[in-house]
Amino acid sequence: MDTIRKIFSPLTQIKGRTSITLVVMEATAALVAWELFGQHGLIPTPSKILMAAWKIVTSAFFADNLFSSLALTFTGMGISIVVALLVSYLSLIPVFAPVARFIVKCRYLTLTGLIFLFTLLTQDGHQLKLSLLIFGIVPFFVTSLLSIIDAINVQEYELCKTLRMNNWQTLWEVVIVGRLDQVFEVMRQNFAIAWMMITMVEGLSMSEGGLGTMLIKSNKYIDLGTVFAILVIIFALGVFFDSVLKHLRHWLFPYTKLQTRA
Amino acid sequence: MNYTKNEVLIDVKEVNLTYDKVILRDINFRIQNIVRPGMNQGQVVSLIGRSGIGKTQLFKILAGLVKPNSGTVMVGVDQHPVEAGEVGIVSQNYILFNHRSVHDNLRLAMKHDSLALNDKDKDALIADYAQRFALEEHLKKYPLQLSGGQRQRVSIIQQVLTGNRFILLDEPFSGLDALMIDRVMELLTQVATLHELNTLVIVSHDVENSLAISDTAYILAKEKEKEGATITETLDLIEMGLAWNAGIREDSRFQQLVSQMKHKI
Ligand SMILES: Nc1ncnc2c1ncn2[C@@H]1O[C@H](COP(=O)(O)OP(=O)(O)OP(=O)(O)O)[C@@H](O)[C@H]1O
Ligand SMILES: [Mg+2]
Repeated sequence: MDTIRKIFSPLTQIKGRTSITLVVMEATAALVAWELFGQHGLIPTPSKILMAAWKIVTSAFFADNLFSSLALTFTGMGISIVVALLVSYLSLIPVFAPVARFIVKCRYLTLTGLIFLFTLLTQDGHQLKLSLLIFGIVPFFVTSLLSIIDAINVQEYELCKTLRMNNWQTLWEVVIVGRLDQVFEVMRQNFAIAWMMITMVEGLSMSEGGLGTMLIKSNKYIDLGTVFAILVIIFALGVFFDSVLKHLRHWLFPYTKLQTRA
Repeated sequence: MNYTKNEVLIDVKEVNLTYDKVILRDINFRIQNIVRPGMNQGQVVSLIGRSGIGKTQLFKILAGLVKPNSGTVMVGVDQHPVEAGEVGIVSQNYILFNHRSVHDNLRLAMKHDSLALNDKDKDALIADYAQRFALEEHLKKYPLQLSGGQRQRVSIIQQVLTGNRFILLDEPFSGLDALMIDRVMELLTQVATLHELNTLVIVSHDVENSLAISDTAYILAKEKEKEGATITETLDLIEMGLAWNAGIREDSRFQQLVSQMKHKI
């Protein structure tokens, strides 16, 4: 009874067990409702999607496509974070600040308009996809990184001064090492953007395959069961990598666990 | 009491600070090296005033972190203008590097070039301070795992280890219970007597505890019909016979002085 009252009142802390029960119950309810009411609808039911998903996962071509998408995402993420970090750290040196500010604004540039240009500039489909991906994520990365740097308390810089550090040492201690855990968090959050973009860029050059290519092909044949199955697979993989990155962060930076508990 | 006041260590002259209105006006005071035979007697000075009067701003001016609109702050035996970094600060909220353990926070304090110690000596020094100030068990912890009082002790030791002779403390007694306040006073007294030139400047609204630990106190307050705070009173607690006495808070003369001063801030 007490538990029931608790789950309906705002700002209440609930135990881990209760929160897991809640998630499981709500998810089950949603799936059951979908299964029951979706029998004659346009959208395939969960059981059909699950079956289609199983068929895809066990098919011969799935591993290749999956690997192609993952390789592209990770390469893109890797290059993007390096570029974004460089831009962000350099932004603290006055001469480079305008560049960083411009890159942040590039979030408002739509990629679609640039695809033609990128096609001309790059040599093959792989390069095209990779450069579009990087061009798409870097502005978001830089935006998040700059806001981390902005949020640093001046007192931390003052402390460095009293400890007789010079500006370079301060940059290293406060901005680089001191915020590495948050950089990791930004990477996790922007992984979602990269993962979302991957299906889009894969549609532009289908020769290498990938989950996005699979999606577009089944869209063409109006095979909704397969489309949804691929969506579910993409969704599940995204959630999986999100939680991997989260645990990796806690493991690499043990003090981040303290903050969330406090 | 047998002592002499020697060379000037900190000299504050005609300091004025204005933001949208006047905050500090004509602040003048100096801190001299107090010498007592047979011991390393450092200086402990308080600046006492109400909340919001401008203590933290004065604190930052003394630390060289804020430039006053006019006036000068000279420090050291050679009396040069203060530069950010040569005066240690223990801020109101005990800032530490949250991404480093207590031990590593203290190690950072000894990283600069003017210290010629090898790693083993540095670690030994940290262990020594940790033991003296009840932090041994906490060296491996991160700052977020410490209580307010422990963080404060780490902050103070960090500044001592840096080799700063002048250490400014903003509200060192706030948020601590009576027992902890006694511990902090002990710690400050210890720091003050570590070296002849060690000088602690305490900025606080806590009249009783600030007076109890100081040899000199300045009252920071507003004068009638004038904008901005200035020093309205100087208390030479050594002359009054109220300094350097751990049990002074029990003394009735001291208690009288405290209640008198509470009306003046
Ligand atoms: N950057 C600023 N710009 C304008 N006004 C400021 C600025 N910083 C502080 N002030 C003002 O200066 C006055 C003094 O502030 P200060 O922080 O020094 O008070 P304080 O005596 O330390 O108070 P407390 O005991 O509560 O810490 C306040 O009225 C505050 O609003
Ligand atoms: Mg203050």
